[in-house]
Amino acid sequence: MVDNVGGSSSNAENSGIREQDRLLPIANVGRIMKQILPPNAKISKESKETMQECVSEFISFVTSEASEKCRKERRKTVNGDDICWALGSLGFDDYAEPLRRYLQRYRELEVDRGNSPPKRE
Amino acid sequence: MDQDVQDRALPIANVGRIMKQILPPSAKISKEGKQLMQECVTEFISFVTGEASDKCHKENRKTVNGDDICWALSSLGFDNYAEAIGRYLHIYRQGEREKINHTKKYENPQNQTQINRAPPPPLLLSRVENPPPTNQSG
Repeated sequence: MVDNVGGSSSNAENSGIREQDRLLPIANVGRIMKQILPPNAKISKESKETMQECVSEFISFVTSEASEKCRKERRKTVNGDDICWALGSLGFDDYAEPLRRYLQRYRELEVDRGNSPPKRE
Repeated sequence: MDQDVQDRALPIANVGRIMKQILPPSAKISKEGKQLMQECVTEFISFVTGEASDKCHKENRKTVNGDDICWALSSLGFDNYAEAIGRYLHIYRQGEREKINHTKKYENPQNQTQINRAPPPPLLLSRVENPPPTNQSG
């Protein structure tokens, strides 16, 4: 699926980033994992921490691709369409389609609430 | 927020912070962009955990460990992730072993403050073109 991991540059030097800024809370990650497992199953601490690392990587990977698209198109704001495009571009096609539908529903709800849909720059 | 939704959600502020670290300083992220990523990450965790869980079930094991996560990543096609995570796991376990040995060596509670090891270095797969092959000799 995702074999060639693309390079990108970050504006944050990683050595200076605090652990809590770099990773998602382990309790939340563990809760989501627990919902998938059968009731009698357990999750080791190392597997939660491994998943934590993995998730941060996944976010960085997708965001960097979306960011690159915005840079090429001279736009400053990364929006939902950019995330969907990045997922498709990186081979996560199974994710991109349902998320496009999610995005459509999200925007319809925003319009119903009286909020204007996001501006296209 | 509904309890079930709350259990499934990852904090959007944290998701946004990780995204922001990747973007150039002048760039912004829309609210919908963060929410979409939040959904996506929840799905990713569920997807990988489900695969790891199946493996444990087939092997009659009750505890999902780091190796199962690695295997699941590889099995689902995230080969570069699996390699990098394998290396992370190796460093993590070395650190845990050192911590245990240190605790055994210094039973005195006063020394416990010294054993807080630095966490393994971040993976930063997204900034590596071709991660080096896993070192099997360790």
